[in-house]
Amino acid sequence: MFGKILIANRGEIAVRVIKACREMGIGSVAVFSEADAASLHVRMADEAVPIGPPPAAESYLNMERILEAARATGAEAIHPGYGFLAENAAFARLCEERGVVFIGPNSTALELVGDKVRARQTMEKAGIPTVPGMTSVSTSLEEFRAAARALGYPVMVKASAGGGGKGMRTVCDETGLAPALEAGMREAKSAFGDDSVYLEKYIEEPRHVEFQILADNRGHTVHLFERECSIQRRHQKIVEETPSPALDPELRVRMGETAVRAVRAAGYNNAGTVEFLLDKDRRFYFLEVNARLQVEHPVTELTTGVDLVRQQILIASGADLSFRQEDLLQRGHAIECRIYAEDPKTNFLPSAGRIVLLREPRGPGVRFDSGVYEGFEVPVFYDPILAKLIVWAEDREAACRRMAAALDECVILGIHTTVGFLKDVVGHPEFRAGRATTSFIGKFFPSWGTGAGEEDRERLALAAVAYEALTLTAGPTGLPGRSRRKDVATPWTVLGRWRAGSRT
Amino acid sequence: MSVVELDLILEGAPRKISVETRDGDLVVREGLHVLETAVRRISENELRLRFGGRSVRVHLVRSGERIYVSVDGREFVVSESPPETGRRGQGDEKNAETSLRVRSPMPGKVTKIAVVEGEGVRKNQTLVIVEAMKMENEIKTAIDGVVTKIHVAVGDLVDSQKPLIEVEKT
Repeated sequence: MFGKILIANRGEIAVRVIKACREMGIGSVAVFSEADAASLHVRMADEAVPIGPPPAAESYLNMERILEAARATGAEAIHPGYGFLAENAAFARLCEERGVVFIGPNSTALELVGDKVRARQTMEKAGIPTVPGMTSVSTSLEEFRAAARALGYPVMVKASAGGGGKGMRTVCDETGLAPALEAGMREAKSAFGDDSVYLEKYIEEPRHVEFQILADNRGHTVHLFERECSIQRRHQKIVEETPSPALDPELRVRMGETAVRAVRAAGYNNAGTVEFLLDKDRRFYFLEVNARLQVEHPVTELTTGVDLVRQQILIASGADLSFRQEDLLQRGHAIECRIYAEDPKTNFLPSAGRIVLLREPRGPGVRFDSGVYEGFEVPVFYDPILAKLIVWAEDREAACRRMAAALDECVILGIHTTVGFLKDVVGHPEFRAGRATTSFIGKFFPSWGTGAGEEDRERLALAAVAYEALTLTAGPTGLPGRSRRKDVATPWTVLGRWRAGSRT
Repeated sequence: MSVVELDLILEGAPRKISVETRDGDLVVREGLHVLETAVRRISENELRLRFGGRSVRVHLVRSGERIYVSVDGREFVVSESPPETGRRGQGDEKNAETSLRVRSPMPGKVTKIAVVEGEGVRKNQTLVIVEAMKMENEIKTAIDGVVTKIHVAVGDLVDSQKPLIEVEKT
């Protein structure tokens, strides 16, 4: 087993990996950009190494700096988390060359599945159904136009190196094609350093169902059932759950077996996820392999009892899988809500700033994977995920209720977050009925924050502020100076004493 | 018991309320609207308000000039109205009918400027793209007009509310 692991990431996922290292008795090395010197992962790791300026391209994507940090600290392996270098085959190969273990798939498989176009070709050859689309990338608008016409609008622009919705655009007609390609390429370039894009047929109102797989270095491969990730905005998941309300046991077995076949065809090892689109007629199409630990991995952990990060580390160290497919069972129901630093009232604009109050939910079946703390200044440079709230309960209805209660308990003040929005999502009748598709947000939440009860909430907010004003002037503390009341207090004298966390 | 009057701003909108206590309950008046609630202090930053037969959890914290309040998972920013003499900032958008100062809605990096000075633009046309937290945000014009001034360059880091572009109505 490794003595020390470097975590080439930040935020909640870096914290998650550091916790796994601690449990396994492995030393942890954090790396951080100048914008992250005070970040939680830096505080938690055994050692922390600065790797450059705030922009990711100069820090978290800087392979040489990261490998140098591994060498300098004596880390034998690198866990890339998700995003950044997690699916970068060149980085995996560089690690292999330098004798550092990359905790993820081998570079050949990573290269294959990371290139979405080649991955599709491989899957088609293996007899796995795929969404109709271009079989190669292009830079010629004419070729894109012809391909889009052949597929029939609407089509989807996708980044070949993509993930997380970056570089993705839906195009409804030919006039929208060129701007969508341009925007997709620019976003792909900025997110992945590679601007190749291609087109796929846009499947309307599909469900997004993915299967978690684990494969050891000797080819033993199992799936750990599905995750339903249909609740998305801007093609980015915000609520995930397992089991999927859309699958029955027969379809689950069929999709699971297909997922295992898919990663075998790619010569894949370590943890990965096979994504499928499931259409209204229960036909499923291979979408892509996510060659990394997924953001939503905790729902699988809670229902199968398997610690996926620990398994990743065990597999990378050369251990065989200690269980077979028939040993794995789904138990109960788990839901994850992603808490982003975004304002749901303004179409999810990012919201950076200082977290002035944080109350984390706790209790039976409640897990809070967080990368932040009270007083932390959320930087503008990175993905706006702050934390993930995951609940487990005996069945779906109980899990929905537990999630709603846990969201109630989750308080983050100082920046805008998706907490209140998520509460409305999990409370929505369509979600409760298990009928949500990928169009759920656009269809039921075209705008948010103006609905019923908002006026009452506003008045209650004002009442709370007023109560503070009253109790501070006439309060029981009787501190000198506080008893001097004016008949009509000005807000400055009333509220001016009141400071975050403490009163003077 | 005397009445306390407060001039507050909630989410950018001025709210004038008066407040008093009656039999231990809090009575808040805003215009003709009266809200009566029993308040229980839970901790430094948490209150429990009895409202409509329910117990509503409210968290609040002051940071600088802003008071952040969460009610039922909704966050509100409350601040005091600025003194009458200090009403600057409004002048920026004077002549809103004839000109528009387009500002960045969030901190980020300018990745594209889609117009040049002197160019005619149509309502909802994209002027600038500001990238924040890896997402591209298209900043559009709300009026038809001509670009009279560009304040930023590609690669600039901008703060929230930073003026980006001036558009004059034609």
